Amino acid sequence: MVEGEETNFPLNARDCLYLDWSHNNGHLCRPLQDDHEITIEELEMRYDTSIKKGLTSSFASQVLERDGPNALRPPKGTPEYVKFARQLAGGLQCLMWVAASICFIAFGIELARGNLASFDNLYLAITLISVVVVTGCFGYYQEFKSTNIIASFKNLVPQQALVIRDGQKNQINAIDLVVGDLVEIKGGDRVPADIRVIFAQGCKVDNSSLTGESEPQSKTPECTHENPLETRNIAFFSTTCLEGVANGIVINTGDRTIIGRIASLASGVGNEKTPIAIEIEHFVDIIASLAIAFGFTFFVVAMFIGYEFLEAMIFFMAIVVAYVPEGLLATVTVCLSLTAKRLARKNCVVKNLEAVETLGSTSVICSDKTGTLTQNRMTVAHLWFDNHVHAADTTEDQSGQSFDQSSETWRALARIAGLCNRAVFRPDQEGLPRLVVGDASETALLKFTELTIGNIMVYRDRFNKVVEVPFNSTNKFQLSVHELEDPMDLRYLLVMKGAPERILERCSTILIKGQELPLDEHLKESFLTAQMDLGGLGERVLGFCYVYLNEKEFPRGYKFDSDEMNFTTSDLCFAGLISMIDPPRATVPDAVMKCRTAGIRVVMVTGDHPITARAIAANVGIISEGSETVEDIAIRKRIPVEQVNKSDARACVINGGQLKDMSSEDLDEALRSHPEMVFARTSPQQKLIIVESCQRLGSIVAVTGDGVNDSPALKKADIGIAMGIAGSDAAKNAADMILLDDNFASIVTGVEQGRLIFDNLKKSIAYTLTKNIPELTPYLIYITVSVPLPLGCITILFIELATDIVISLAYEKAESDIMNLKPRNPRRDRLVNEALAAYSYFQIGAIQSFAGFTDYFTAMAQEGWYPLMCVGLRAHWENVHLQDMQDSYGQEWTFGQRLYQQYTCYTVFFVSIEICQISDVLIRKTRRLSVFQQGNKVLVSAIVFQLLLGNLLCYCPGMPNIFNFMPIRVQWWFVPVPYGILIFVYDEIRKLGVRRNPGSNTFVIVDNHPPPLPLVFLVAGCDLKHKEKVSAFFHESLFCFSRYFTSTPH
Amino acid sequence: MGTFSFSFSTLVCSSHQSQKGTHKHGHELEEEQEELAEHQPLEQEDLNFEKWKRKPLPKRTLYQTIDSVKTYLWNAETKEFMGRTGKSWSLILLFYSALYLFLAAMFGGCMCCLMWSISPYHPTFNDRVMPPGMTMAPHLDGHDIAFNASDRKSWKKYARSMDEYLKPYNDGVQERKNIHCSQEKYFMQDHLEETLERKACQFKRSWLGECSGLQDPHYGYSLGKPCVFLRMNRILGYLPGQGKAINVTCGVKKGNPEALGEVEFFPKSLFDLKYYPYYGKLRHVNYSAPVVAVRFAGVQYDAHIYVQCKLNGKGIINDSPTDRYLGAISFTLDIGA
Repeated sequence: MVEGEETNFPLNARDCLYLDWSHNNGHLCRPLQDDHEITIEELEMRYDTSIKKGLTSSFASQVLERDGPNALRPPKGTPEYVKFARQLAGGLQCLMWVAASICFIAFGIELARGNLASFDNLYLAITLISVVVVTGCFGYYQEFKSTNIIASFKNLVPQQALVIRDGQKNQINAIDLVVGDLVEIKGGDRVPADIRVIFAQGCKVDNSSLTGESEPQSKTPECTHENPLETRNIAFFSTTCLEGVANGIVINTGDRTIIGRIASLASGVGNEKTPIAIEIEHFVDIIASLAIAFGFTFFVVAMFIGYEFLEAMIFFMAIVVAYVPEGLLATVTVCLSLTAKRLARKNCVVKNLEAVETLGSTSVICSDKTGTLTQNRMTVAHLWFDNHVHAADTTEDQSGQSFDQSSETWRALARIAGLCNRAVFRPDQEGLPRLVVGDASETALLKFTELTIGNIMVYRDRFNKVVEVPFNSTNKFQLSVHELEDPMDLRYLLVMKGAPERILERCSTILIKGQELPLDEHLKESFLTAQMDLGGLGERVLGFCYVYLNEKEFPRGYKFDSDEMNFTTSDLCFAGLISMIDPPRATVPDAVMKCRTAGIRVVMVTGDHPITARAIAANVGIISEGSETVEDIAIRKRIPVEQVNKSDARACVINGGQLKDMSSEDLDEALRSHPEMVFARTSPQQKLIIVESCQRLGSIVAVTGDGVNDSPALKKADIGIAMGIAGSDAAKNAADMILLDDNFASIVTGVEQGRLIFDNLKKSIAYTLTKNIPELTPYLIYITVSVPLPLGCITILFIELATDIVISLAYEKAESDIMNLKPRNPRRDRLVNEALAAYSYFQIGAIQSFAGFTDYFTAMAQEGWYPLMCVGLRAHWENVHLQDMQDSYGQEWTFGQRLYQQYTCYTVFFVSIEICQISDVLIRKTRRLSVFQQGNKVLVSAIVFQLLLGNLLCYCPGMPNIFNFMPIRVQWWFVPVPYGILIFVYDEIRKLGVRRNPGSNTFVIVDNHPPPLPLVFLVAGCDLKHKEKVSAFFHESLFCFSRYFTSTPH
Repeated sequence: MGTFSFSFSTLVCSSHQSQKGTHKHGHELEEEQEELAEHQPLEQEDLNFEKWKRKPLPKRTLYQTIDSVKTYLWNAETKEFMGRTGKSWSLILLFYSALYLFLAAMFGGCMCCLMWSISPYHPTFNDRVMPPGMTMAPHLDGHDIAFNASDRKSWKKYARSMDEYLKPYNDGVQERKNIHCSQEKYFMQDHLEETLERKACQFKRSWLGECSGLQDPHYGYSLGKPCVFLRMNRILGYLPGQGKAINVTCGVKKGNPEALGEVEFFPKSLFDLKYYPYYGKLRHVNYSAPVVAVRFAGVQYDAHIYVQCKLNGKGIINDSPTDRYLGAISFTLDIGA
């Protein structure tokens, strides 16, 4: 797939980037992109356009035909059949395919040899295939559904663009734009294509979706840089024009735009295998090698005993097939999709089923700041007036505490904030949140004043604006002059806001409790402290002042000139400071805390400024209280930064500039030595580097993001999480999971569910594996000892597919400590490890086999076939022509009667496995708590259901001839019970060991964190370090055993 | 044009800085803010798309793979075989032997209990072997009888099989071992002590008349009038017919019913009650199951005739769809001159 994507870019993208910039002639690279450098006339020539009249409509449609629509082509959609085929080709699926083909081969051989005893092999093959196909359909459906949900996000309202063609201004759909079109953009628009700006007035563009940088860039017609990415006269597709107006010529459309290239190349970043896929592959490896080893051993044994080669071959294949856990695939798929469904209810849409588990394995979350951790809206956080800092309500729903608004100063401050403000609500809006045209801080002020003093638009109308001086970088302030609402009062009101120190410079008095007081050193000092404090919180601080202009000097009708500033701009009265921040979401600190307890590192990776980033990080707990950076320590100890021991600093803030100079080893080292990391001012490339570095350190990395610039990192991450509301399509396409509510807290839910699923899968697999042995041993005994076959394959299928899945569904709720454990180590904590396999196979599985055979021999003996007689009976037993075969009592049996007796054996074996599995599921419920310590109603009902199903299979009329189940005698249900009790007691002792020796890990089998030394319940005592503990344990277990045995009738 | 691209105070403000004059400090702050707010240029590297592509993992060479497998199998440094030391392996072995010994003992115990609980004289249940099946002789590979009366070789095998079949019924053997019974009811011997051997009624070969092989050693095969023997499967304690003897009928299963011609039964078409019940091979050592010989005296030549013989009586099933030998037996007759 990766290769396929690459071919879309015929030339190395790096070579092409600066060469093939405009790219209006197919796949050829033109030497050097210079659309920004050439003169307007040359540009007109190049694109056959006019900066006055634009293109002609007819030429435009020709170009449209040549270049295609101006839209990002969705990443080359995998054909549906390939998606479906992919669902059929996972690790387990391949195992099943192999098994099915083996069945077909065995069936073919039997058919060819003409001694076709039954169609079992054929049925088995068909069942295997249908399991694969049905679960495949399930997975495909899930994927299909989430694709649909994602598709529904795509903006249904087509983007419009104002284009000038044939000298006429037209609104057309942005996708119809072509190279050479003359377009007009204004504040609030999305830039419809890559545009060479030819005229601009106060045009500012938010490039954050491209660079992640939230600071607006101004756009002017001049070429300021030879690098097309840097020059001010090119505006990029899909960035947002914040304010001002601009005209420009379209120079790139669709996928040829810079954003288009990033988006389509991001989809070329290969998808790593999900952790669960790796685990399942590992599991399949184990199964396959065990199956082949077993099969081969018995092949040799069979040959040695004297079976024919072909017969031995069939045995070999049958053993391999018997080893395949048929039910597991369905269990895994059902578990995953149930969890996906549960997550969807909590606003996480999972695109790929396996990603459900990935989140559970996650050990590092690289979170974007804006929009994920924060609300993505500037909000007034603090005010300073009357020589006090007041905190404003920053919650999303205005549920917090507000400050005391009774002061006269506050009224003055609010009036300035409301009047000296160019932001306006978009007209004709219903409902909330209302959209605002204006820059972020003005918007914040507008909303704040609207909330605190009422309808600000009406308020502004009352104070007629006479003149206004917009902000510029030399002044660093903005002012406006208003008439007063009282018609009798003929004074003008001058209001001003701007950089605090610049405002302060122009003030001579300060308003304290409604009184104008002279601005003395003391007040200045306190102003400075306040400004520093607020700035230190990462907040954007603005100063506000006002003055009533002298009525005589500035009578009504005075000609104010905004350029000359022919009015008082000094000796003003300082009103106060207002500071703004994009506040964290209310749920985030709690969620970050939960991540911490769950051992997950939350790393902030943002395009924003270090100070803001750090302030927010501290606010939400990514940097915990009391953590210091190297710089902090240096300042505290008054030593140079170089002398600080880096390991003393828990926190670290690295900005993009520093990161640029770091080698990958440096970055790894930094990530290793500082647990609390904030990356600020990072570029998209650097995000990718950070993710790679985390992965190099062995972490499973989740990345959250929303912009196009995040999409490569999202793709690179083990699980990319895109924001549903704020996210760009490119990000959503690259992600594995989408948070519909953009809420970081949902990730925590995802982690919990992911861990739960891993635990439950582990339990399910342990449970499923166990009965593989009692399913296999009958066949082995059948081959070696030649007893009548104790267990048929249809019966095995019923154990696997009917009873098993039912039990697996009744999986546990999270054990209470699930979010207090460290994330699993993907290298060590495998889904299936040796210890688990050995315990399931060779201990519990062995006990179950004995249970099955006990019941089998009981059923045979009570019907007239003594155990010893069964040995070597196979050849006669299976002789179709022998109609008067004598049993131990001399009774004569027809073949049909023997067959039903054989079915009876199948059934009792089935019942034995079922009874033992009930015991097994009880022991698998918990990893180390005793079963009595955790109840589960679902489980109980699942067990009851399983028993009912067993009874139905046994006693429903017609079963003998359909599914080879016989109505068996009631007492045969109870034969395996002692073995069930044995399993239970055996495991309770193991768990007792786990609890008594929490450190030793000697008894841990099914655990998230098995010891590096696995396989040891079986070697209890081999770990000589724990010698005393082990011997103490044995004493205790013996005591327990005796107690269990005296209390259970055996 | 009022965007304030600025105004960030900074954290990095040490105490000595704040001691400086307000104005200067403000100025410094401003400069710092400028720096912070400075446009972060897009690097050429940022758009180096090559870097975004996945790097292929370094592949292990075959040699390395083999080497690591070798080390896994036998690590000379740590003296580990498959990741474990000899001590560890022997402990594993010890543990497993103990576990399996225990399990084997438990299994053995269960088997002992089982054998102790069941009687050697009569099975605990006999529902699976009921109702009785039916067998016939001659029975070679199948139940097809095809021969030419004039061709000795073609029926010799049948005759030999019948000889074998009747050996236990030789009059001498029967007279020596079994008693003569004359009653027409079940021969109940339940009142005897459990371990005692039960008596069996005689069934003499000579009673089979023309099918006895005494007068005609070829059992009618040479005459084109073949005999077959029918027997009902033995079931311990089973009382067939509930007081009324089971009788046998033979007929054409499909095809022309006339083709079979006359059918004779020896000694009669009944399984006498006196041969039942059967007391099992341990106590009923010399039990001789009664035989019904059927002679097809008027069978049509050169026809493939499907014959079915059935048991008829109470409690007998002779039309089971799944078991063709339950209370019935089918065979073909294909006789040439």
